[in-house]
Amino acid sequence: MRYCQFVMGPAGSGKSTYCTSMVQHYETIKRSVHVFNMDPAAEHFNYPISWDIRDVITVSDVAEALNFGPNGGLIYCMEYLVANLDVLDEALGSFEDDYIIFDCPGQIELYTHIPVMKRLIDHLTGMDYRVAGVYLLDSQFLDDPAKFFSGMLSALSTMITLEVPSVNVLTKMDLIGDERRRTEIESFLDPDPRYILEILDERSSAKQHGLNAAIASLLEDFNLVRFVPMSKDDEDMISVVQQQVDNCMQYGEDEDVQIPKDLDDVPEE
Amino acid sequence: TSEQPESGTKDEGVPKKQGTAIICLGMAGSGKTSFMQRLNAHLHEAKKPCYVVNLDPAVENLPFEANIDIRDTVKYKEVMSQYGLGPNGGIVTSLNLFATKFDQVLKLVEERSKENDYILFDTPGQIEVFTYSASGTIITETLAATIPTVIVYVVDTPRCTSATTFMSNMLYACSILYKARLPFVLAFNKTDVVSHDFCIRWMKDLTELDAALDDSKYMSSLSRSMGLVLQEFYENLSAVGVSAHTGAGMDDFFVAMDGAVKEYHEEYRPLLERLKKEKEERTQAKKAEELEKLRQDSKGSVVLDPSNKETLETPLGDLPEGEDDIEDEEEELPQ
Repeated sequence: MRYCQFVMGPAGSGKSTYCTSMVQHYETIKRSVHVFNMDPAAEHFNYPISWDIRDVITVSDVAEALNFGPNGGLIYCMEYLVANLDVLDEALGSFEDDYIIFDCPGQIELYTHIPVMKRLIDHLTGMDYRVAGVYLLDSQFLDDPAKFFSGMLSALSTMITLEVPSVNVLTKMDLIGDERRRTEIESFLDPDPRYILEILDERSSAKQHGLNAAIASLLEDFNLVRFVPMSKDDEDMISVVQQQVDNCMQYGEDEDVQIPKDLDDVPEE
Repeated sequence: TSEQPESGTKDEGVPKKQGTAIICLGMAGSGKTSFMQRLNAHLHEAKKPCYVVNLDPAVENLPFEANIDIRDTVKYKEVMSQYGLGPNGGIVTSLNLFATKFDQVLKLVEERSKENDYILFDTPGQIEVFTYSASGTIITETLAATIPTVIVYVVDTPRCTSATTFMSNMLYACSILYKARLPFVLAFNKTDVVSHDFCIRWMKDLTELDAALDDSKYMSSLSRSMGLVLQEFYENLSAVGVSAHTGAGMDDFFVAMDGAVKEYHEEYRPLLERLKKEKEERTQAKKAEELEKLRQDSKGSVVLDPSNKETLETPLGDLPEGEDDIEDEEEELPQ
């Protein structure tokens, strides 16, 4: 079985930091992972990348050649990649012990308006990959229940188009110095939707109560209210995130099948 | 700046008039900028002057004239090369830099809102740069605290013909609604290509949306819960179909706008003020609590622990010596 996770989230939510921490963590637990950079506008990385979309196409190439702005350029690049998936296949084919982290661009349009990410994921599932989505949100913006709702909804709006199991991660918990705010945020991590609803109703106009209730039940039905906290240097937190992602993609469930296969491969080499 | 005293005197005689700030949000390609252009043209035609602020540092050519342009303050390409950032980081940083000067913009806008009915804000094409950044939050919040502010979410109607995209778009709109806590108008753009009627039907009628979805299990169970959200959403906000291309639906839009402004005054402003007051009270209480704690601590150390007295005495004893030094220097200097 081959596995991959798609790391998503708005610009500045800490995607690259997440990848750095994860790469280090997997190194410690001796799991071999490869990071694929999917952002054609990325600049530099703190971790080794195994494949880079920028080797195929970059936003600045497109911007120069076709006179596109940053947005049009990005969309062009992604569509170009999806049209030439054999390039990616070639890169994927070279790894036997497959666990791949896709560091994705944050623009929401790639998930909703144009079906590039969906097509990419369908392609990978077709190649027997188990896919998990990891959606990152910056904890610093979630200082009240309304913003928490907002964060969940943005995660959901990305997730419904991809139709993959996913984990929501709250990043940069270490940057929240204030002890009281920290406990407040922690109380929202695995909350009772009714509790959130109560606070939310209190802090919004009466007209909005119906909507509050509808969204609370939506999130409850899909068990999407949960967020896993993470700090970039906290090994315990990182480990919990890793376990959640593993659960979500059912990692290692058929590891027994994989071992004999690996042994068979040895004599051939 | 020479106009400022003039408008100040005008304000004294005429009852205070306040224009409305319209923050235009939308995903890339939704036709946000064209919609702004249409708004601008429509207002000029109706002889209602408006004031335009451009917040997109990366836009190449604006089809309308902006009174305040972020590009005059921050050069996006220079920010990129100076800080070694990619296009996205460049936009975020430019906006952050601009937000540090936003108090000046706010002053101008407040001044101008007395003579303009509407103040239009165009935002960066990357929607999350505005909705999920510190600077976007600062700009929205300070603006809403100063003058009536309405969020307009521009939707690309032809793309919404896919039910999944439609739901995703609506969820994102909900997300902004919760984040911004401001009156909200949905503008289904490009109705010259596809009429937005189907969107309204989907929002009103769950069975119609259900029929439009693919028969994937995940989606159909989601849509059932989603239908309820959409119905509530629809009841809560005004949705209008517009065409930036032909100008259709602009009158409807301004009717919705008037409703939104009314909502701002009746519901959102009191709410914002209440929340602000609560927050202030919380910080006050916290300050008092900390002060009390400090008092308790210092009391404890002085009274209860006699050994501390020595440490207290030593710095006091040091002080005169220090003073002597200063005096010495002063005496030496004139000589």
